[in-house]
Amino acid sequence: MDNRGPRAGEPVVVAKGVTKTYGRTRALAGVDLEVRAGEVLGLVGHNGAGKSTLMRVLAGLEACDEGAVLVHGKEVSGAAGPRAEDFRAVRMAYQETSLCPDLTVAENIWVSSRHCLPRLGWRRAASDAVRRRLDEMFPGHGVTPRDRVEDLSLAQRQMVEITRASLVDRLDLLILDEPTESLGPDAARSLYDYVRTLTAAGTAVLLISHRIREVLSVADRVAVLRDGAVTAERFAEGLGEQDVLTLMGAHVAVPSEQDRAAARAAGDAADRPVVAELRGATGPGLREVSLRVGAGEVVGLAGLAGQGQQEVLERLWHPVRRDTTVVGTRAYVPGDRQRSGVLPLWSVAENLIVTAMRGLARQGLRRPAEERAAVGDWVERLAIRGGADAGITELSGGNQQKVIVARAFASTAELVLLDDPFRGVDVHTKTDLYALIRQEAAQGRSVVWYSSENAEMAHCDRVYVFRAGRVVAELVGEEISEERIIAVSFAESDGEQSNE
Amino acid sequence: MNIRTIVSRPWIWGFAAAVLVWAIIMAISGQGGGQTVSLALSLAPYLVVVGLGQMLVITAGPGNIDVSVAPIISLAGFVSVGVAGSTGSATVGILAGIGVGVLVAVISTVAILGLSVPPIIATLAAGLVASSVTLSLANGFTAVPDPGLRQLLNVRPAGIPILAVAVAALTGLVILLLRRTVYGRSLIAVGQNRRAAERAGIPVARVIATTYLVSGALAGLTGALLAAYIAPSADLGTRYLLDSVAVVVIGGTLISGGRAVPVGVWGAGLFFILLDGLVNLVGWSTAAQNLLKGGLVLFVLFLAGGGDRAGGTASRFRRRPRTAAATTTTTGDNTHG
Repeated sequence: MDNRGPRAGEPVVVAKGVTKTYGRTRALAGVDLEVRAGEVLGLVGHNGAGKSTLMRVLAGLEACDEGAVLVHGKEVSGAAGPRAEDFRAVRMAYQETSLCPDLTVAENIWVSSRHCLPRLGWRRAASDAVRRRLDEMFPGHGVTPRDRVEDLSLAQRQMVEITRASLVDRLDLLILDEPTESLGPDAARSLYDYVRTLTAAGTAVLLISHRIREVLSVADRVAVLRDGAVTAERFAEGLGEQDVLTLMGAHVAVPSEQDRAAARAAGDAADRPVVAELRGATGPGLREVSLRVGAGEVVGLAGLAGQGQQEVLERLWHPVRRDTTVVGTRAYVPGDRQRSGVLPLWSVAENLIVTAMRGLARQGLRRPAEERAAVGDWVERLAIRGGADAGITELSGGNQQKVIVARAFASTAELVLLDDPFRGVDVHTKTDLYALIRQEAAQGRSVVWYSSENAEMAHCDRVYVFRAGRVVAELVGEEISEERIIAVSFAESDGEQSNE
Repeated sequence: MNIRTIVSRPWIWGFAAAVLVWAIIMAISGQGGGQTVSLALSLAPYLVVVGLGQMLVITAGPGNIDVSVAPIISLAGFVSVGVAGSTGSATVGILAGIGVGVLVAVISTVAILGLSVPPIIATLAAGLVASSVTLSLANGFTAVPDPGLRQLLNVRPAGIPILAVAVAALTGLVILLLRRTVYGRSLIAVGQNRRAAERAGIPVARVIATTYLVSGALAGLTGALLAAYIAPSADLGTRYLLDSVAVVVIGGTLISGGRAVPVGVWGAGLFFILLDGLVNLVGWSTAAQNLLKGGLVLFVLFLAGGGDRAGGTASRFRRRPRTAAATTTTTGDNTHG
């Protein structure tokens, strides 16, 4: 499996005015991007900027709505959707690996590269190839081709995933999606060394990472994706971390201001009685997280997706560990409403009241009159279309979400946990629900709100920004802004980088 | 009556099938129809009681089934007759039968919730424990059922057995349980979407434990009554495994959980008892009877399509990316369509 790449400098994959819409969400709004042979192109952007969608389109996994994708100058975005043959030389290593956990490493290689393995003796060929490539890319990896993927550590799985993507007879473009997220510093360094050998042979590499420094040290060019479009393209040389953050729409944080913020936050929070508290919580996905929620306070959990925010919600929902204290009752608003929100066979009224029912009931018997009154109240208050008797699945997504939110607030819970519930909800509904949250907080209810949309955090009293399972900043009042959150969720301290 | 009403009242089918079989029996035997109905009404209650327990378990959602009901019935038969014989009180005997059913269900519950064993395996194992106890009890068992209770079970004023009236009342209680109590609503919520129920603050483990315990108690009650009506034997409950699941499914309860139809258990129970009568009348073997019943269950499940959930049809086709699915539900304009 040698890599006979095209001549350096020639565009390998080109996106021209690519758009992509999912339902009401416009993921890509006209992306123009060129990846040239022999270069490393870094791609940066915040949550929901469209990175994943763009990658899927460039890798031929998804067709674009408008515009065109060209591979070697040949347009391959036909109406019938992308064809696998056209994208054979474009490979992608996924952040959440695409490996089959029950198969061995060698079998996984067969799954993704069978067209360049012999029919007979493929296991041997795959084993040899993967062993050689792993040795080349990650010396000291400790993986044998016969290991089952399930038994590998997270870092080893990531190594195998990257190796899997690179093992092909002809590799023109290698897409690496957050490749170093679970790798140690040595493995990351040897990966980037290998990336340079690849580009020297003429292969193009597209690197997506939110570690700006890493991107700057490896990439030749950096493209910034913002709201579904490439807003800037720069040569990496001479570009600093702050420049990139500014291009991404971040307001650059001044340390002294941050200190003052922390001081003020401490003062403010001390005034209110504490409803929930985490004291140095450490565990899967969390590292020494300490936070406090006061009565009547709306506390935001911000940062890039999957940095520990959901783990915090989980801790607060099931406060079984000793480092977590929650006073009073809780309600939960899930974000994935199809999977963990909607009770599909029931009407709006039944879905809405299921949590409050317990509080209203006497001796385990329901009180229908009180329930009806509460349902009527909430249906009117949130203007749920279709009314109380409509089946929940007949409602639009936004209205379903209103019901799920109402379910939590209709209960007597003192602490309401929001798990990014407004993703994919239309603007009007969102505005209604934001107002509801503020009203309820004014009445003394506490809210802990995880959101992947930084703009939503403006509705919070206090925001904790997460990064790699840690709280990296606490913003209070006027300091809460999209720019600040982006700045702190990307900024990496020197100590952190070296021990990861 | 239009199609919509029939679809929204799935229990109608069981009764319709029962009436059909009854008419065929009448046509073949030429005897008075009232006698057939009276006989069916005296046999069906046993099946309905165990069926109601099974219905609650199946309503708890995918994977939930109680296969220990058959061994529990056999065991409870011996225990209740034995206890009634030694204490001289039929009531204590019945309570002992219920108690033994709960005990076996405790084993299942601990295995399901504590050890995360799949319900079918857990109840199978608990059932095996029950059958071994039954076998050791059956050895040299001499007590005879309480004659007073047997007489009571055979009382039929105006052709309607007292037991049928009592079980009808029990069915009414189950309906109230499902509609009017927090437990009943919680059970239905858990059956529709366990994750969502958990996030809505429902104590899922407690609801599931209660459900298996109730099923065990009802199976124990069935065993106690059946042993007094017939006689205790090691295979007293054997036919009730398939039948209890079948009457639940044919009665219109969703096999995937979240919708319970207690009245349907009655319709399907009568249908099954009458079907037994018909098949006996025609002279089919037990093997052929079971073949017919098994086929019926599969046919009903085929018609039901595994449940009327919103995602039910989509899952039969190739899965599409979920991102799109979340936003493409119908808009608010056609909610009353």
